[in-house]
Amino acid sequence: MHKYFAIVAVGLLTACARLDHVQIGDIDQSQGYLTPFNVQVSQFGLEAAAAAEIGRIATKGQASQQFKQIRNILALMNMGPRTGNPVYDDQYANKVMDYIYAECPTGKLTGLTSVREAKVLGPVSGEIVRISGYCIR
Amino acid sequence: MLKNLFVSIVICLSLSACVSLKSVSLTQIPEERNNTVTATSDSWNLLGIAFSNDFIDEAIIDLKSQCIGDKIEGILTKHQVTVYLLVIKREVIATGYCQKG
Repeated sequence: MHKYFAIVAVGLLTACARLDHVQIGDIDQSQGYLTPFNVQVSQFGLEAAAAAEIGRIATKGQASQQFKQIRNILALMNMGPRTGNPVYDDQYANKVMDYIYAECPTGKLTGLTSVREAKVLGPVSGEIVRISGYCIR
Repeated sequence: MLKNLFVSIVICLSLSACVSLKSVSLTQIPEERNNTVTATSDSWNLLGIAFSNDFIDEAIIDLKSQCIGDKIEGILTKHQVTVYLLVIKREVIATGYCQKG
């Protein structure tokens, strides 16, 4: 019972915002009135090895050993440099251009800020690409 | 003796802030680089547990307010994290050049 409580507590406590990258672009305030906009796209991310680790902690005996082996295999499969948890669609950030033009049909943009971040809840996460900026009206 | 050792360890750990640079970006640098503007925003978190990244916007607003009606170019953006034992400071530092529009 205590074990499950600990797992839930750890899961809730680790629900946090992760920040990977920030880039602030040139800001031109001389061309007219600036209207702020903010668009973001996100994708479900999964740290499969961490999910297997939770399974290992939650079970006993042979099942725990099997979860341990699965965890090790998954960890080796996903080894290497990366930003955030793996996602299942590597094209998800492509739509961001369309959303920006929908927010600013004139196309006169300035102060574009690109943020790569995530909302993390244990082994799962929402991997986010956020673009904010100003539309010159 | 043991007490002094313990105090020394705590002081060393507390004073030795560990900085890591998470990301750096730079935009086109203008020819005239006289008027430098800088803005910093930070977020302090216990054990690194943060619930929002909205502190970034403060740096942008601050940078804008230092160059009203003109252009800011050559913006160097640094995102760094400093660890003070149990507390973590996340920081965004933006430096650019204010140009007459």
